[in-house]
Amino acid sequence: VELTVSADTQAEARATVERLAAELLSNPLIESFDVEVLGATSSVVGSRG
Amino acid sequence: MSVRIGVVVFPGSNRDIDAVNALEVAGAEPALLWHEQVSLDGVAAVLLPGGFAYGDYLRAGVIARFSPIVRAVTAFADDGGLVLGICNGFQVLTEAHLLPGALLRNRGLRFVSRQIAIAPERLDTPFTHLVGERRPLRMPVAHGEGCFYADDATLDALESAGQVLFRYVDPATGEQAGGDDDRANPNGSLRAIAGVTNAAGNVAGLMPHPETAVEAILGSADGLGIVASFVASAAERERAGGPALVSAAR
Repeated sequence: VELTVSADTQAEARATVERLAAELLSNPLIESFDVEVLGATSSVVGSRG
Repeated sequence: MSVRIGVVVFPGSNRDIDAVNALEVAGAEPALLWHEQVSLDGVAAVLLPGGFAYGDYLRAGVIARFSPIVRAVTAFADDGGLVLGICNGFQVLTEAHLLPGALLRNRGLRFVSRQIAIAPERLDTPFTHLVGERRPLRMPVAHGEGCFYADDATLDALESAGQVLFRYVDPATGEQAGGDDDRANPNGSLRAIAGVTNAAGNVAGLMPHPETAVEAILGSADGLGIVASFVASAAERERAGGPALVSAAR
């Protein structure tokens, strides 16, 4: 499963995905998961004076 | 005055009307509880019926776990309230961690819809005390994900704590069904487990459908003892003013 999340830091993004994986995407009784960060992109739009 | 029992309705529930009929046959007053509700409207017990919940695309019951009504059911169960989950309702209760184990895809990888037999392991619970003697109870199953699974340590713990409530059995002999090559075990459930309770004994779930086996015209009335036990226990609880009379698991 590939997810795109918005977060201020990579650690925050990872924490969000780990929570999603643990509480929703997987059932820990029968499944396990690993989280891999594929890359970060910035969506900050700058403004010119 | 008959006891009010809530029947939860998710988008996709399709056995809710059967549950309503079964509760009425057993002498209760059913009250439908919509999935967006945040309260249980003061019902004495809650039944989560079969069917589907929010499509069950990810895993059966997983989205329902986060619904307002299941949050209310969780608080109710934590307070000792009686909760019964049937089929999809059982799947929802395991995903909500109100019941142990998980329901995996049937071992045969096919949706199974046919008459089977189960037998109660215990006759002293709020869900079985009016069943009578231990004997095969004929009722239908209709599911694609009903294979009860837990690791060996959990299974041993459930057995020793008396939390195994029903097993699939041979309809003729009443002997416990075998593994996934035994037709009496329709989904390959480990140790032929068809239903379990939580540790406190106030929450139960099973994959077969007792609510569609409550009158002879439906092909079997063997499920009535289960529904009647649930209704009588709810009435007893209401008379006592709380969950004090819910008997705990061994």
